[in-house]
Amino acid sequence: MIQIKNLSKSFGKNQVLKNIDLDFKKGKVYGIVGENGAGKTTLFRCIAGLEKYQGEVSSTINPLKNHLGLLLTEPFIFSKITGKEYIRLLVNARKVEITDLEERNVFDLPLNQYASTYSTGMKKKLALTAILLQQNDLFILDEPFNGVDIQSNQLITEIIHKLKSLDKLVILSSHIFSTLAETCDEIYLMKDGEIIKKVMQEDFKKLEQEMKSFTIGNKLEKLGL
Amino acid sequence: MKKYFQLHFKLINRRLIDFGLPLIVGYILLLLVFYFGSEYLFSKTEFAKYIYGFVALGFVSRLSEAKRNDFIKSIFGTSAFLKIRMLENLIYAFPFALFLIYKEEFVMSFLLMVSSLLLVIFNFNVNLNFTIPTPFGKKPFEFVTGFRKTFFIFPFAYLLTYAAIDVNNFNLGIFSLLLIGLICLSYYIKPENEYYVWNYSLTPKDFLIEKLKIGLLYYTALSIPILIALGIFFYNEIGILLVFFIISYAYIIAIILAKYSAFPDEMSLPQGILIALSFMFPPILIGLIPYFYSLSVKRLTTLLNDSN
Repeated sequence: MIQIKNLSKSFGKNQVLKNIDLDFKKGKVYGIVGENGAGKTTLFRCIAGLEKYQGEVSSTINPLKNHLGLLLTEPFIFSKITGKEYIRLLVNARKVEITDLEERNVFDLPLNQYASTYSTGMKKKLALTAILLQQNDLFILDEPFNGVDIQSNQLITEIIHKLKSLDKLVILSSHIFSTLAETCDEIYLMKDGEIIKKVMQEDFKKLEQEMKSFTIGNKLEKLGL
Repeated sequence: MKKYFQLHFKLINRRLIDFGLPLIVGYILLLLVFYFGSEYLFSKTEFAKYIYGFVALGFVSRLSEAKRNDFIKSIFGTSAFLKIRMLENLIYAFPFALFLIYKEEFVMSFLLMVSSLLLVIFNFNVNLNFTIPTPFGKKPFEFVTGFRKTFFIFPFAYLLTYAAIDVNNFNLGIFSLLLIGLICLSYYIKPENEYYVWNYSLTPKDFLIEKLKIGLLYYTALSIPILIALGIFFYNEIGILLVFFIISYAYIIAIILAKYSAFPDEMSLPQGILIALSFMFPPILIGLIPYFYSLSVKRLTTLLNDSN
């Protein structure tokens, strides 16, 4: 469904993505993990067409961006716009008619309030609701669980399962390993702009342990607590 | 406190440098734009001093943003905060007050300085606990957010129209119409986050047409009461009225296209100058609109036309 070949991206002299090759198929959920600054968000922005890049991103659906639901890490919300109007703006942009918005407000958001007054988690849920209502074929979710309460986390997990069962493609990043393990078919590990490892479901536990020992190492001792 | 103002001076300098101007040129240009802009306003209407005071207070009130004030207070404490805010407001209002003195509008100048000081105590920028209703909710966002930020101006404009009819002053009526136009233009000055443009499954041309349609439709909705009232009560002047209305349309089109001609960046200085020139000589718009249109299409192509 999406093929990425030799994708590179630089900001000035700083190369943030290095020769990335990936192949994403519909009906699957892919996780991208890596430290802050590893290049996950830039990779997502390149796929979406929000950044210029070297290399190739091709898709069986054209144009890709018109069928892609993109959830940003920190959704940008206008001041003085209500949750309902935010959703309407995004669905209008994709020429989708929504008549039963109140009913489809699965996160029980106060849609008539200004969205800029929402908490971080509520903004994320609002943005997720909007891209789900856009009726996209594929989804890029950049840290969808970040700042969201436990109940909503469970709901988001179920939504991802449902999208998969509907043969949609989902690519997501998260810093919470358990959520990735619960939702993904494959996980790609990114480091310094490169994909350094591809891990299948049966090896998720092993990956988590490896990451834990690598990340923590002897750092606690260094703190001298 | 001294460091706070030094830092702000640095920030202003950085903005000018980012604008692509040598500092000295930037300051001279600012001064010239301010002087000639003010002169132009005073040459055009007898109500200039009121508009001038209103614009100046609008500038000053931008410093009253609640989060900004909370931040300053948390760093400097209440007493230094008050001093900083008073000084800031006076610095912002000073050029306007000085120009009013130059125009021998001493009372207005005094009132402006006093009002600027009072703005420190009365923080109008309070987050109201309710959502201001808007008739534009079906097609967000420019008129939705803009209307909520400027809703208090519309009754004032309609009141001016009433006054114009009452005192049989057609010029005042035209001014009220132009006031609505200016407010609507302000909704398009800042570019939105590129995500909101990216979301559209439209070609750049269709996207621009959609934006223009909404802008003109909603501007019409806000100005039609004035147009009808003036058309009825100043029937003999209907030709002039329509000319002003059509010119406002042209400005709305120009400002929307100007915004996207620089997108996702803010309008550049040359673009700003072109727009400013068009206010002094409207026929420029005939060339400016197609020019901004072609630039906008180019600017939006990467974002809207998927190359994948």
